[in-house]
Amino acid sequence: MDFDLTQDQQQIEDALAQMVERHSVLPVGDPSYVKTSPELDRDLKASGFLNIAREEGLGDLEAVMLIEAVAKIPYASEVAATALVAPNVTARELPGPVALTRLPLGGPIRFLAPGGTLLVDTGVDVRVIALTSENVAPAASIYNFPYGRLVGVDPSTAPVLEGAHPEEFRRCWRLGLAAEIVGAMDVSIATTVAYVKERKAFNQPLGAFQAIQHRLSECAVMLNSARLLTREAAWSGQPKAAALAASYAQEAAAKVVYDCQQFHGAIGLTLEYPLHYWTYRLRQLQGELGGPVILAQAAADMSYAANQPIGDPFGGDALN
Amino acid sequence: MEFAWTPEHRAFRQRLRDVLAANLPDNWPVVSNGYDNGSDASVAFSRKFCPILAEEGLLIPHWPKENGGGGLDAFHHWILGEEMWGVGEPRAYQYMSINWVGPAIIKFGTPEQQAEHLPRICGGTISYCQGFSEPGAGSDLAALRTRAEPTGDGRYIVNGQKIWTSAASFADACILLARTGAERHAGISMFIVPMDLPGITVRVIPGMQGERAMHEVFFDDVEVGPECLLGTENGGWKVATEVLANERIGVPRYALTWRGFNKALEHLRLDGRLENAAIRARAARCEAALKAARLAALGVINARIHHRPADVSVNVARYAAVWADRQVVEFLGDFAGDLLFYDVDAVVTAAYKRATSIGIGAGAAEVQLNLVSRNLLQMPRGNA
Repeated sequence: MDFDLTQDQQQIEDALAQMVERHSVLPVGDPSYVKTSPELDRDLKASGFLNIAREEGLGDLEAVMLIEAVAKIPYASEVAATALVAPNVTARELPGPVALTRLPLGGPIRFLAPGGTLLVDTGVDVRVIALTSENVAPAASIYNFPYGRLVGVDPSTAPVLEGAHPEEFRRCWRLGLAAEIVGAMDVSIATTVAYVKERKAFNQPLGAFQAIQHRLSECAVMLNSARLLTREAAWSGQPKAAALAASYAQEAAAKVVYDCQQFHGAIGLTLEYPLHYWTYRLRQLQGELGGPVILAQAAADMSYAANQPIGDPFGGDALN
Repeated sequence: MEFAWTPEHRAFRQRLRDVLAANLPDNWPVVSNGYDNGSDASVAFSRKFCPILAEEGLLIPHWPKENGGGGLDAFHHWILGEEMWGVGEPRAYQYMSINWVGPAIIKFGTPEQQAEHLPRICGGTISYCQGFSEPGAGSDLAALRTRAEPTGDGRYIVNGQKIWTSAASFADACILLARTGAERHAGISMFIVPMDLPGITVRVIPGMQGERAMHEVFFDDVEVGPECLLGTENGGWKVATEVLANERIGVPRYALTWRGFNKALEHLRLDGRLENAAIRARAARCEAALKAARLAALGVINARIHHRPADVSVNVARYAAVWADRQVVEFLGDFAGDLLFYDVDAVVTAAYKRATSIGIGAGAAEVQLNLVSRNLLQMPRGNA
């Protein structure tokens, strides 16, 4: 048991922090719902970070650190599927961005773009679809993710991704989702804390009001919990841990978004002010894969089924 | 990062379980009056059981060897806490000696105080109570008014009242905060006072949390000698801060909550209620909160192991624990009200009862949020 980062992990964390800083500068006077950045995409590719889970001695935990870091950047770039999901379900290198979906197909899909790949959870296997300008139509979004709509393709007739287990696919998707939420919550809270220290009303900073202090402190506690659950789930590789982490993070996200928007007042509703780049992402992530209740049910299905004992929370090697 | 127990940690937990299995009376949840560690049966058992733990080297595994401990890492301390608290704390209130009274004596005590107290703590033969809260000083602890008037020859005359004091009617000694000066924080001293001194009167306050969990303690012209002063005169706030940091993350309170919660789930599964999707989802969300509370607490222990001083992560972890207990209490109230009777399930009922106090004892939950706000978020101070 050691909660401290190893030396390697610390180096990765430091390098990631530098990358976040490099790509956190937004141009003035160019507000938009969605921000993407070819420089960030190039930087990610060149850095080798996208292969982090395939490196000797590294794995899901380091990939989670990467996903969390990129979620802090205002520009959207797909990493969870490429750096965490794909390496765990296939030895193939899939052209990115890699989009994820499941049957039955819903609306627009995050990161669905020509030149990339779509992985589809059919419930019994994982299908793979090469994306082109023929089968992807762009979809406008207010959530700071590029979205696309799949057209003219029936995923159930697409080729199977050989060797990919749907349970493992789901575990990694949930884990990556939890890490994305942690990163986006982190910046949302930090942005809001900085704002309420500056903004004055009734002759004092907003941050001096206990009503605001307590709610943001609760946000900070939940962020810490979500991060710990996510990292433990990454370390243990347990499907239930991943479902619990994602469910908890989604539940926390709903509160964090509400409080952060609320304490910003009207300025948080403007496109010029950057808060929405993270809070509106969170609004989508909080419902991905069914949302916190459905993911909690998924975790319950792995715990309370059949005749396995519920009894002892502290037995065994892992932290369950 | 590594989130798994070592073979040594696992073996230690197993030894504790073996010793508990060999020594706990049959039907302990009922014998202990629903895991009530202030009940006659529990206190009597603790006086027999703590020396057994000491004999087995399991009472204070984590203290340095030179202080009578086992020299093991702080995770052993935490495992000990989980296993004991999870079965209703058969050490009664001696966990206080081990978790924070002893460490304070090691850090601030004179050689004479250490020689008097540490062997008795290590042997499991002394029990303390904690004279901090007063009728006018709870969350705002520095508002305390109990006075220890110096007599000029090193002695003090103590007058005042403490309240909500756990275990006072059977404790051997009290760690007492009293005012020796005018300054709010720098006018407070810490004493270790034998409870049989003339002028000390104790009244039990019947309470929801169990027998002898709350008392009033009155000090009327109680004369204490210089040997009772722990730390320096007017230097008590520093000792208290240390004690509180150890107290806030000293007891794995989630351990009993989690066991009670799991036991409730067994009932709900048996009678079919757990097949309901809404109940299953709520249960898993409780589990996530419990697990988060445990991870946050283990993070605090991890910092101790790496010799980092206690910081705001203590308050973060404590609030996570409060949050988890609240989730479980609400779950049990919503879905398992019929289980919450001692003759239906003493463990579930004990967990339910205990969980209500977690946001109040050892510093209210809102005080934790104040400290998170000030020390983690570094929010400005204001007028409202």
